[in-house]
Amino acid sequence: MHQQFATVFVFMLLGLAFLFVSQIASKLLRPKNPYAAKQQSYECGEEPEGSPWIQFNVRFYLIALFFIVFDVEIIFMLPWAVVFNEMLGTVGPLAFWEMFTFVCVLLVGLAYVWLKGDLDWVKTIIARDDDELVNRGLSRYSSGDKLGKPGLGASEYV
Amino acid sequence: MNFTWSDAAYFWPEAIMALTFIACVLTDLVTRGRRHGVTLSVLIAGTVVSLAMTVIKAPEASHYVFGQMVVIDPFAHFFRYVFLFVTLVTAVFSYSSREIMGKDRENQGEYYSFLAVMCFGMMVMAEANDLLMLALSIELVSITSYIMAGYARFSLRSTEASLKYVLWGAMSSGVMLYGASILYGLTGATGFSAIREGLLAGSGSELALLVGMLFVLAGIGYKISAVPFHFWTPDVYEGAPTPVTALFSAGPKAAGFALLIRFFYTSLVQTDGTGGVTLLEGIQWPWLLAIMSAVTMTWGNLAALRQTNVKRMLAYSSIAHVGYLLMGFVLLTQAGLQAILFYLLIYAIMNLGAFLVVIALNNRLHSEHMDDYAGLGYREPILAGAMTIFLFSLTGLPPTAGFVAKFYLFAALVDSQLWWLALLGVLNSVISLYYYMSIARSMYFTPATETGGLGLSRAHVALVVILAVPTLVLGLYWSPVKALADSSLAFLLGG
Repeated sequence: MHQQFATVFVFMLLGLAFLFVSQIASKLLRPKNPYAAKQQSYECGEEPEGSPWIQFNVRFYLIALFFIVFDVEIIFMLPWAVVFNEMLGTVGPLAFWEMFTFVCVLLVGLAYVWLKGDLDWVKTIIARDDDELVNRGLSRYSSGDKLGKPGLGASEYV
Repeated sequence: MNFTWSDAAYFWPEAIMALTFIACVLTDLVTRGRRHGVTLSVLIAGTVVSLAMTVIKAPEASHYVFGQMVVIDPFAHFFRYVFLFVTLVTAVFSYSSREIMGKDRENQGEYYSFLAVMCFGMMVMAEANDLLMLALSIELVSITSYIMAGYARFSLRSTEASLKYVLWGAMSSGVMLYGASILYGLTGATGFSAIREGLLAGSGSELALLVGMLFVLAGIGYKISAVPFHFWTPDVYEGAPTPVTALFSAGPKAAGFALLIRFFYTSLVQTDGTGGVTLLEGIQWPWLLAIMSAVTMTWGNLAALRQTNVKRMLAYSSIAHVGYLLMGFVLLTQAGLQAILFYLLIYAIMNLGAFLVVIALNNRLHSEHMDDYAGLGYREPILAGAMTIFLFSLTGLPPTAGFVAKFYLFAALVDSQLWWLALLGVLNSVISLYYYMSIARSMYFTPATETGGLGLSRAHVALVVILAVPTLVLGLYWSPVKALADSSLAFLLGG
C-alpha cells in the first residue's frame, strides 16, 4: 500500500527540484540591469499610487456570490453530462428530470438577483429618512431614479 | 445506489417544505416584496400540507432513502411533528412582531422563505444517517440561522449577533468536519451504521477515535449550546429579533438532540437484544457527558440569576434546559431517551409560549427589561397569567407539563441510580425557581408606573392562550403524547 504513495513522493520531489533548478538556472543565466521604472509593480500601464489596502466596494463580493451559484451548477452538471449517454438505457429519464429540476431551482436564484436589482452595478438604495443618511455618512442623491423615491446614486459606489 | 419510489414516498413532508421555500421566494418576487401576508399564507399552506403528509404516511419501520443517506423511521417522524409545530407557531407570531414585520423593516416577505428552509433543514437533521448528511443538514440550518439572527439589519445588536454566530458557527463546523474526516479515516465509511461495523472490526488507534468523536461532539454541542460550546448563545439570543430567538431556542436545539441521539446510538452503541445497550470501545462517554450535563445546567442557571433582560435570562435558561436534557442522554437507557423526547416537545411548547409573551410586550413597551414588566399582572391580566403558567412550567412545578417532563427525566435517573446527577438536577431546579419567579414578582408585586391596558391585539392574546392551554392540560393528562414519544424509539434501539 505504501508503494503507491512512493509515486506521490517522487512527484513532490520532482516538483520541488524543478522549481529550484529553474530559478537558480535563470538567476545564473539572465543579465542583471535594474532601474527605477523596471522595479515598479507593473512595467507598463497604470502607475501604482497609494496603498493597496483600501476598502473595496461590497458589490464585488455580491458579484462573487452570484458567480458561485452558477459555478456550482456547472460543477454538478459536468459529471452528469459525461455519463448521461451511458445512463440513457437505464435511469435516463430520471436523471434528465433531476437535472432539469436542479437547473430550475437555480433559475429561481437568477430571477431573484435580477428582480432585486443586484445585476445592475449601480443599485438604488432607498433611505428611510435623512437621519439615516447622515448616520451612514451619505448625502441625498436627488436625480430621478427608477422608483421615484429618494435614493443614493453612483456616487456611493465609486 | 438503489433508488426506489416506494421509499422516497416517505420523504414527501421534507420535499414539500423544500417546495414551500421556493414558492415563498417566488411569491415574494412576484408581489415585489410588498405583500408579505401572501408569502405568510404560502408558508402556512405548505407547512399544513407537509403536516398532513406526515400524519398520512407514518413510517412503521426504518426506510432508507437516497442511498442510505437519509433514514425515515418513527424517531424522525416524531421530530417532524416538533419542527412543523415550531415553524407554524413561529410563522404566526413573527407576523405579529414589530421587530420583524414593523413598518420600518425591510424584506419581510423573504423572512418566511427562511423559515421554510430552516424547517426543511431541521427535518433532515433528524433523519441524517451519514456523516455527509450530518454536515450538510447542520450547515443548512446554521447558514439560515445566521441570516435570521441578523434580520433586523439596521439594528446594531442584531448585526452583532449575526456576526458572532457566523464566527462561532464557522469554527464549530470546521472542527466537526475535521472530526468526521478522522472517523472516516479510521473506519473507511461515512454511513453511521457502517461506522459501527468498522469499529466492531477493530479500528486501530483509540486516541484517534477519541479525538474524532470529541470533535463531532463539539459540532453538535455548539448546535444544542451545551457548555463549553455555549458562548454564542446569550449574545445571539439577546440580539436576534425575538421571534427568531424563540425559534432558535426550540427548533435547532431539538434537531441537535435528534442528531446527537441518532449519531451515538447508530454508530457507537451495540444493542444486546433485550433493550439494553452497551458502548463500543473503552471510552467513558457516559462520564464525559454526565460532567458536561452537570456543568451545563449549573452554569446556565447561575448565569441566569444575574440577568435583568428577560430575553437574555431565557437564553441562559435554555442552556440550563440543555443540561437537564443531557441527563437523560447519559443513562443509555430507553427510559432516559423517552424522557428526552417528551421533554423536548413540552419544552418547545412552554418556551415558545414564554417568548410569545415577550414579543407581545416588546411590541408595546419596546423593551425586554424586567423592570418594565412591573405591574403587568393588573394591566394585562390574561397575558401575565399565561406568562406565569409558562414560567411555572419551565421551573417544573405541578400541575404543569414541565413538571411531568422533568419527573420522567428524574425517574429515569433514579432508576439507573445516578443519584448525584439527580440531586444536582433538583438543586438546579430550585435555583431556576428564583429567577423565573422574579419575572412573576415584577409582574404582580412591583407597582406599575402607568395604568391601563397595553392595547394588545386580541389575536395575539388568543395565541398566547392557545399555547398556555396545552402547557396546563399536558400537566394533567399526558399519556397519549408520552405514548407517541415512547413508540417512536422502537426502531432506533431495536438495531
